[in-house]
Amino acid sequence: MAGAHTGQAGGRHRVAVRCPEPFPGHGAEVERKMVNLRPRRSRRTLSAGKALDRGDEEEDSEEEEPAPEFPNGGPGAETMEEEGEEEDDDEAPEEVTFASAQAEAKEDERRLRDALRRDKALLKEKRKRREELFTEQKKRKLLPATLLEKLTSVPQTKIKKSLPRLEKGNTESEKKGKKEKTFPIRVKKRYVACRLKDQDLIDLRQQAAKGFIQKYLYGRGSNRTTVNKFLSLDNKRLPVKKPAVQFVNNNWGTERKQGAKKFKKQWMHKKKLASRRPNIT
Amino acid sequence: MGDTKKGMGEFKVHRVRFFNYVPVGIRCVAYNHQSNRLAVSRLDGSVEIYNLAANSFQEKFFPGHEGRSTEALCWAKGQRLFSAGLNGDIIEYDLEKLGVKYSVDGFGGPIWSMAADPSGSYLAIGCEDGSVKLFQVAPDKIQLERTLERQKGRILSLSWHPSGTHIAAGSIDYVAVLDVRSGNTTQKMLMDKRHPGSQRRRCVVWGVAFLSDGTIVSTDSAGMVQFWDSETGTLVQTHPLASSDVLSIAVAEKEDSMVVGTAEGTIFHFQLIPSRSDGKQSQWVRTKPFQYHTHDVRSVAHSPTALISGGVDAHLVIRPLMEKVEVKNYDAALRKITFPHRRLISCAKKMQLLLFQFPQRLELWRLGTTDAAGKNEDILPLSRNAEHLLQLKKKGPENICCSCISPCGSWIAYSTASRFYLYRMNYENNTVSIKRVSKVPKFLNSALQILFSADSTKLFVASNQGCLHVVQLSEGALKHLHTFHPQSGTLEAMSLLAVSPDGNWLAAAGMSSGVSIYDLKHLKPHCAVPAYNFPVTALAIAPDTNNLVIAHADQQPLPDDKTPLFNQHSLREASENIRRRHAHAFKISKKFQPLLFMDLLDEGTLVAVERPLEDIIAQLPPPIKRKKFGT
Repeated sequence: MAGAHTGQAGGRHRVAVRCPEPFPGHGAEVERKMVNLRPRRSRRTLSAGKALDRGDEEEDSEEEEPAPEFPNGGPGAETMEEEGEEEDDDEAPEEVTFASAQAEAKEDERRLRDALRRDKALLKEKRKRREELFTEQKKRKLLPATLLEKLTSVPQTKIKKSLPRLEKGNTESEKKGKKEKTFPIRVKKRYVACRLKDQDLIDLRQQAAKGFIQKYLYGRGSNRTTVNKFLSLDNKRLPVKKPAVQFVNNNWGTERKQGAKKFKKQWMHKKKLASRRPNIT
Repeated sequence: MGDTKKGMGEFKVHRVRFFNYVPVGIRCVAYNHQSNRLAVSRLDGSVEIYNLAANSFQEKFFPGHEGRSTEALCWAKGQRLFSAGLNGDIIEYDLEKLGVKYSVDGFGGPIWSMAADPSGSYLAIGCEDGSVKLFQVAPDKIQLERTLERQKGRILSLSWHPSGTHIAAGSIDYVAVLDVRSGNTTQKMLMDKRHPGSQRRRCVVWGVAFLSDGTIVSTDSAGMVQFWDSETGTLVQTHPLASSDVLSIAVAEKEDSMVVGTAEGTIFHFQLIPSRSDGKQSQWVRTKPFQYHTHDVRSVAHSPTALISGGVDAHLVIRPLMEKVEVKNYDAALRKITFPHRRLISCAKKMQLLLFQFPQRLELWRLGTTDAAGKNEDILPLSRNAEHLLQLKKKGPENICCSCISPCGSWIAYSTASRFYLYRMNYENNTVSIKRVSKVPKFLNSALQILFSADSTKLFVASNQGCLHVVQLSEGALKHLHTFHPQSGTLEAMSLLAVSPDGNWLAAAGMSSGVSIYDLKHLKPHCAVPAYNFPVTALAIAPDTNNLVIAHADQQPLPDDKTPLFNQHSLREASENIRRRHAHAFKISKKFQPLLFMDLLDEGTLVAVERPLEDIIAQLPPPIKRKKFGT
């Protein structure tokens, strides 16, 4: 059957193609069958209330398979059905009483309502469980009272002053230390303590807004370059080409250089000590 | 990095280049037609007001705040200045007291744009949540009147129709036209999403302008300037200007010329040119590009005779248009203002210390010394390098407004917009220790200018209420000696102070009320120099003759022989004017890089603080890549 071919070829995606009709009289029927195959579910729910009698509906309601699953090899099953239906179309359609159709419709409705109720109950269960989980996590996160005591007793000298005459930061004694990382007390995780007063100035929406500007002006698609390259562009076009404005990167390898300096100091110190010790030969 | 050099005449000059001051980028400019003044707001929240008639002198300065980040600035009726920013507040500035009058929450989240209607009695703000809110400007406050229909994205730019009936709002990917009376959207013009470059970025409409014939001009991030008809919502004209964003637009009052600024630093001038010989039809034509900036031009303004632009590279460029300028004199030249017109450096002469004022900290340096002697134009080697002695960070979110160090070096004072701080310094065997004087009298809450007397016993504070306080300093405590109240009855704040070296006279210059001179021995006002057309830029009293030297914004110094006052070699600020004053003659020396400060240390040594422009540009954010042929 032409219908069968399209059914098999399409697989899940049924295409309502107007195929050449072997039975001219039943072309319309065939087409209708094929078009209705996909949205069968919605048709059922929509017309559940209506007691209209259409041959399709009855036959459709008999096939209770949900559309995405094909327990009986969907396309194949459909084609067999179609073939059966077409033979039946030679005869008069079956008569179905109003009462039975209405009963069927009511049945459908009830089933649907039950399904919805079950779904809602399931969701409610899920939500309740999640809420409980969150409250539990929150309780765990809150520091126990004993830990808070220990935190306040940490000496204020934690705030570093590199050189007493060089740095004079905001070291008021009433502040509890703005950002102190790892404490020398027995804590499992690392805590960062910061003042709530400072948080007022850092509004999340303001941050998001600034992020927007940053993204659009300096973000991925923007055609930005460094100041060094920008200024060196003219140097490249001079008749006597000059090097870039900042030719040497002084920040390169800072850790290695610092390590080397330290090593040199240690080595010289060792040498000094060695030269002082008397030589035992 | 300071080296000493023999200057002209018989001076040794300390050329100081370690003042690492980077001016903050400009975010908004707003021009006021009635008073010919320009308000400029910067990225750190500070606002400056320039008097364009007085040679673009920076008259007023409002220090910034860490929580503020202004996105829009506008003038309203009656010379009132408002700004709005990403913290969601609308702030009104008090132009007399040089402070913030009040701030009102916009209730729409971060505010991206603000515009005053042509009559100046309403303010429209465009918020993050997509709503346009109307505020009514009442005599003492502003009040939320209405919210117009809410749009889908954040409103990044706003413009009123000259009749005040419609507002054009530019957002991401569209421009909407709102009817003010009903609040509905009458038209919505969608931007073309296909533009060169990366396809996934949306088209951001950075600027809109509404013309009186119903044309809306929009500038967007695709680099295009488009003309739309607001009745039908169709695109009339499009000008692809650049491959990067076009960030700002400003239209002249007469609506015959327009200026736009791009992210590459170029500003374009558009003019309405009659296309037919009888002048009936006219068309907007792009006439002139100007490349005065290296970085993004975030804001432009159009005065009747000049194009004004400001951007991330912190230059304020005023470009007079040749066809509009009547008299072709010095005023018709390009003005580029980079440095602030106020004093950022104070010098403790006896101890050879310099105090540098940054917006958020103070740095104390000791000058290097040299023992060598040389001839003219020699660069002398340093026997001891300049040292960084102390860095004092500000407390709280407000930026530092003014600062000073006493000539003996033992007192440092600075002030923010609401508090005054005084510190006592101690120098002993090569270490510096600092102690804060905590009991500062209540009336010293915010100062506009601070000055110490020459013998470091008295402190003069010009407060923002218009009074001048004289405080006696001693080891432990401060004693309030006297307060001079403003004579004329106006509450105008003093902008400049100068004290005579013998401690008898104090001169104070107000913004427009001339210079008043006070007698310190008897603690009463002495006389006043009548006001001149141009504001005072520098003030000094000389040591021997007690002459008062006043420099005005028109660059004509007036040696003034009032009462016995003296001539002194001290020039407070000379950013573009590179001048040096000798004993009785004025000579211009162009040897120095842009000068920020110059002072006489003792008989024969000068200190000059320079700030080469290359050092500043090296610390700016990344600019747009420019493609040059052959590189």
